[in-house]
Amino acid sequence: MSNVFTINNLNLHYGDFQALKDISLDVERNKVTALIGPSGCGKSTFLRCLNRMNDLIDDCQIDGEVLYHDNNVYDKNYDVISLRTKVGMVFQKPNPFPMTIFDNIAYGPRCQGIKDKTELTKIVETSLKKAALWEEVKNRLKENAMSLSGGQQQRLCIARAIAMEPEVILMDEPTSALDPIATLKIEQLINDLKENYAIVIVTHSMQQAARISDNTAFFHMGELIEYNTTDIIFTTPANGKTEDYITGRFG
Amino acid sequence: MKKNKNWIQNIMRSFHINSKKEIVDFFVRLIFMISTIISASFIVIIVAFIAREGIKPFVTDNDGLGAVNLFKFLSGRVWLTGTTFQSNLYSVGFIIINTIYVALLSLLIAMPIGVLTALFIAKIAPKKLSSIMRTVIELLAAIPSIVYGLFGAGVILPFVYNFAKTLGIQSPGGNSVLATVIVLSLMILPTITALSEVAIRSVGKDIEHGSLALGATKTQTHFKVILTSAKSGIFSSAILGIGRALGEATAVSLVAGNSQNGPSFGIFQTTSTLTSTMLQGLKETIGIDYDIRFSVGIVLMIVILITNMILNYVKKKVGNVNVK
Repeated sequence: MSNVFTINNLNLHYGDFQALKDISLDVERNKVTALIGPSGCGKSTFLRCLNRMNDLIDDCQIDGEVLYHDNNVYDKNYDVISLRTKVGMVFQKPNPFPMTIFDNIAYGPRCQGIKDKTELTKIVETSLKKAALWEEVKNRLKENAMSLSGGQQQRLCIARAIAMEPEVILMDEPTSALDPIATLKIEQLINDLKENYAIVIVTHSMQQAARISDNTAFFHMGELIEYNTTDIIFTTPANGKTEDYITGRFG
Repeated sequence: MKKNKNWIQNIMRSFHINSKKEIVDFFVRLIFMISTIISASFIVIIVAFIAREGIKPFVTDNDGLGAVNLFKFLSGRVWLTGTTFQSNLYSVGFIIINTIYVALLSLLIAMPIGVLTALFIAKIAPKKLSSIMRTVIELLAAIPSIVYGLFGAGVILPFVYNFAKTLGIQSPGGNSVLATVIVLSLMILPTITALSEVAIRSVGKDIEHGSLALGATKTQTHFKVILTSAKSGIFSSAILGIGRALGEATAVSLVAGNSQNGPSFGIFQTTSTLTSTMLQGLKETIGIDYDIRFSVGIVLMIVILITNMILNYVKKKVGNVNVK
């Protein structure tokens, strides 16, 4: 068993507000790790620490360690660009670029300097196949990605992340803007993807966490209350707060 | 009395008015409609007036000089005013080309500078600086054209004159294509910058973050995603910019040199645009020399209309991406 991420004593402040309090947790390879908890508990903030997307927020201060393969990503000299090529991200709202489906997938590789057309074509095809979108779009790669349905757009965003051949995929409530059928497709996809990637997913739906994840972390008020395998969290949680949350007594 | 009420109700019904509230609604809509009719009818009146005056040189014999030949008017290379009132040999062919030439050159200079400035203000500059810059740009856009013209005459003309001199070229007081293009670029730059900045700023943060999360650098994100997402709005800024460049008269006539023949492509040659030709000596002339300026006005309107149509077509072709 090996960990891709090891987080030690992570604290995060937005100005005076402490959004994360002394978080320590490991993210395992080829596992789906779910982050659950009520709104504002810090789970999305935590997720964004893993690929340093919090850098984009003014007034955000971080201390503690986020070790990605034993290197602290918050080291001054750490190459954040290469981190983000290895740690992909899928957002809450599908955010395809306003360009063709092909260009959307090819965007990441092109930014890394891949120009060869046949290589790009190959990357686009394999990525779309892995994201279970190929059959639906193979004849319309030149169409604008905005013409896809919401669920297709989200799978396109997953394909876009896969095109970078990342090691980890971070997902921030990827199904909250989708209908139940599209949600089901994404969940099946996540299940397939964990063969090759470590997946960290933030979700509001406890059923979803129970269905798709191997490990579950429960956050509350910026603290990590409990982290264990999903089975244990949902059957025999150690903490009273976790039990209250998963049984729907608050949150 | 009862009969009278029925009569009112019938009218109300015919306008689909069934209650008191709908009466108010009806009158408010009426006010909107009247305002629209007033503003729209002015366009019709102006166009009709210009057209009526502008057609005169072609259909009357112009007090014995003979009618102007429309084909020669549109294709010729000399604007004859030296022997004013003695001839009907007016032509705007070269002036049309001059006008489009200087407008396109100005756009070519102002567009890249304007868009890059807009990108800087919207995405790169620190918040305080960008709000200062935004105010400055808005102020620049509000400066009347005569002020740009005076600046052109007082600063740009000597500069162009001296610049030409160092190259060994004799420039007539600096009046030239170059001076015109510089003044026009300065004038349309704020318009392009301000509108492009709005377009760039309205590109969703989610798209920007999506790009950064894929390991794209900030520069890659700015050029490959943000500019392409904003291109529809940026194109609109170009359309307004070139509209202003084509329609600018005062500033241009102070620095163009108002050449009587052409077209002038060399940057140190004097030039003339449709607007400067219309403006030149308008108040001191009569007869055909007066009427022909209205014909130029028609040509200018058509040129602007066609340019806008072409740019709008291109905009649709390349920019139909802002589907949300």
